[in-house]
Amino acid sequence: MGLDRRAFLGLVAGGAVGTMFTPIPWKLLDDVSIWTQNWSWIPRVPKGQIDYVTTTSKLCPAGEGLKIMRVAGNPISAAGNPDHPLSRGGVSALARSEVYMLYSPARVKSPMKKSGKGFEPITWEQAMLEMADKLGAAKGAVACVSGDGTGTVNELLSAFVGKLGAAGYFMMPSEAATAAKAVKLMGGKGQAGYDFENADTVLVLGADIFETWGTSTRNRKAFGDSRPVGQKPKSDYIYVGPTRNNTAAVCDQWIPAATADLGVVALGIAWHLLRAGATSAAPGFDTFKAVVNGGFGPEDVKRATGIAPEVLAGVAKALASAKAPLVVTGSPCGQGLGAAPVIAGMSLNLLLGRVNKPGGVYALPELATVVPGAMTREAMLAGDLPAFLKGVADGKTPAPKALLVYDANPAYGLPETATMAKALEKIPYKVSFSSFLDETAAMCDLVLPNSLTLERYDDLATPYGSGFCVYSLTVPYQKPVHDTRTTGDVILTLARKMSVDLKFDNFLQVLKEKVATLAKASGGFVAKDVMPWQVAAGKPAPALAGGDLWKALTSGYAWTMVGQVQATLGFAPEVLAKAIKAGKAPEKAVVLAPYAQLRTGTPTTGIPCQDLTTVPDTELIGESTFVRLNSATAKALGVKKGATVKLTAGGASCEAKVHIFESVMTGVVSAPLGFGHSAFDVFSKGKGANYLSLLSVVEEPGTGLSTWAAADVKIA
Amino acid sequence: MEEKRSNSAGGVGGMVLFALIGFVGALVVGWVIFPKLLYSEKTQPIRFSHTVHAQLGIDCEQCHHLGPDGRFAGLPTTESCAECHGEETGDNSPNGKEIDKFVKDYVKTGAQVPWLVYQYQPDNVFFSHAAHKGFECTKCHPDVAKTDTPPTYYQNRVSGYSKDTMKMWECERCHASMGTSNACYVCHK
Repeated sequence: MGLDRRAFLGLVAGGAVGTMFTPIPWKLLDDVSIWTQNWSWIPRVPKGQIDYVTTTSKLCPAGEGLKIMRVAGNPISAAGNPDHPLSRGGVSALARSEVYMLYSPARVKSPMKKSGKGFEPITWEQAMLEMADKLGAAKGAVACVSGDGTGTVNELLSAFVGKLGAAGYFMMPSEAATAAKAVKLMGGKGQAGYDFENADTVLVLGADIFETWGTSTRNRKAFGDSRPVGQKPKSDYIYVGPTRNNTAAVCDQWIPAATADLGVVALGIAWHLLRAGATSAAPGFDTFKAVVNGGFGPEDVKRATGIAPEVLAGVAKALASAKAPLVVTGSPCGQGLGAAPVIAGMSLNLLLGRVNKPGGVYALPELATVVPGAMTREAMLAGDLPAFLKGVADGKTPAPKALLVYDANPAYGLPETATMAKALEKIPYKVSFSSFLDETAAMCDLVLPNSLTLERYDDLATPYGSGFCVYSLTVPYQKPVHDTRTTGDVILTLARKMSVDLKFDNFLQVLKEKVATLAKASGGFVAKDVMPWQVAAGKPAPALAGGDLWKALTSGYAWTMVGQVQATLGFAPEVLAKAIKAGKAPEKAVVLAPYAQLRTGTPTTGIPCQDLTTVPDTELIGESTFVRLNSATAKALGVKKGATVKLTAGGASCEAKVHIFESVMTGVVSAPLGFGHSAFDVFSKGKGANYLSLLSVVEEPGTGLSTWAAADVKIA
Repeated sequence: MEEKRSNSAGGVGGMVLFALIGFVGALVVGWVIFPKLLYSEKTQPIRFSHTVHAQLGIDCEQCHHLGPDGRFAGLPTTESCAECHGEETGDNSPNGKEIDKFVKDYVKTGAQVPWLVYQYQPDNVFFSHAAHKGFECTKCHPDVAKTDTPPTYYQNRVSGYSKDTMKMWECERCHASMGTSNACYVCHK
């Protein structure tokens, strides 16, 4: 009996049947399905010892302290640091992106030099030689734009540019600059700081305090603490602004008012307070009283804003009867508001006696500079970048020969973006220190990438909005992912090459000197067991053990100080009289009211990749962004939900889809900022429109400040 | 004609016989040979003696602890081990040689030991040790505390996972017996 054909078939059939009764097919099927999880392009979860380290967010303007989770020494995720007074465990969408932005496809991976329409990588040494040569030739006409409102690196940059012969040192427009201008015009000094933690009634005029204004994460914590779950709220928040934004949505009351009318509303409330007998010893009170009584009575305000007299009377009563009222003024979109509305809001604080009082507004002193020849923050904030660039574009201001751009993206993040880009094109030599290939970096001759927060030493000093002086450090917890360097070190190396004496050899020395200076400052302490708002409320400040300050700061704690500048704040009624008018009836035109959100990043970060998934499809769908109108406005314009419309203003136009949203006041079209990038990566580029391009820069009467927070817009 | 019938009858019988041989052969291959072929055998980079450490009174949790937030710290790092084994011993005993190998290859170089973990779950499984801390470690893990030489690590040649990696049905069975939800999102986030 041999193995003939039939026997062979029998063997195979028997084997096949037998195999079905073994684990072979079933186990292999299971294993193959598991094998598909191991394909090389599928991200792996890192394994190793988990630990936590602390640092401070530099991407987020709110300046939170961060607690970074690491696995086997590699940063994995960022959360709020419960020990940091600007975080207290809270974190914004942007600060949370600090870890994964390390691997953003938009990162500049090495120094790059413009070559034709693109870039070619060069070495740091080549970059230094070229920059030393070009900046040497541009001496006397070097300008700098910085978007870092809190870092000591500004001292290095301003001293360096100053010693080369500065054509101007400018900060990107911010609420801090507007407030600084307002305080100056009121005869005061220092940075306005708002003590939310001790306030019991807060009137918010426009400022999106829980999203983009100032120390928003800290503001949210203070708000949350005053409203414990299941208990009676200990605070009352009233929001005045054109949309029920993320701030208004949680406030006790939303009073719809156009951005342009915020000053009128403030003076309208002042009228009620004055009528109830409010008075002040501050300079200019009598003139202020005359200005308010002369043009901001209930009927004047109603005609200008549409707000009923009893509404403002109710607000005035709530403020007057509160133990610790506080008035905060800002732009609903985080930029472009005039100084006059801020002065009007600050005047309410003066009338209520809330200046330099717990739960009120403090005039915070500036921390001492350590770099010889550095500008003070006050001097830096005095520059008006949109006005300067507009002058350059129009040929009225000579273009600088060279421009250094640090942590800023003026080609995208300014109003009249086309004009600003035109001005930048006129500058013959531009260097960007951006970590990401943003719109401005794409226009530059040289891009020298800055290391990101987790890769460098850096610092954060009293962000605008903080109610107390605060200082904290960032610590490098990993080697730079790409061939990047800390810009502070790059400037110091360059200065040595150009024989410019900046006193220090490296940026770490600068920071250590800064910390040593703070250790000597009287009244400062490490916020640990006692927080600064508790000290403001009367608790004794703990003593500072000077030698341990660096250790404490690199361990995630913050140096803080409660105090105020000794300067008398006045009412500046002449400015108010020129800048704020309540005479006009509401116009029929539709007003553009932009809004900003941290989840769509800042002009310097683009949209953080993971945060893009949190953008709802009523804001961005495909490559189209939505503008928001209420049904009454939509009906008046004859547009319907989902329709594609064209918005035209100031000679520019943008497309948008229509989202009907009843949280927008009638006559206003609300548009999201942060979209419409032409640079960065797939997560930002080509997503919707940049509505900043529709906003025109207008000089504010009485202050001379550039403003652009709102604009009349045509919709078709 | 006769020969033809004989062939036919023998052919059917032969076919059945060979079918039986094939059937039995497949069973032998499937149940005996296949498992041996499917897994490669690996040994740990360092012959770590749990017995020696357990005899010194070191608890499991001293090296494999839960963090303050409930996260499982996993395996100790080279630095942790170096707190006791920072220097070479020069001891020629098997244990002494192994300690010296560890010090030379890992402590001195600052590298982490590439330990072979018997029960790593796939990345798409969210397993919390904190949620299971009421159980004895040995309910799920081999009782390595009683081993002087770590058990052989069997790696599946197809999936790449350890033979001891717990399968989903095992998780589900325990959850069901404990009255714990077996909803997808409990383990797959």
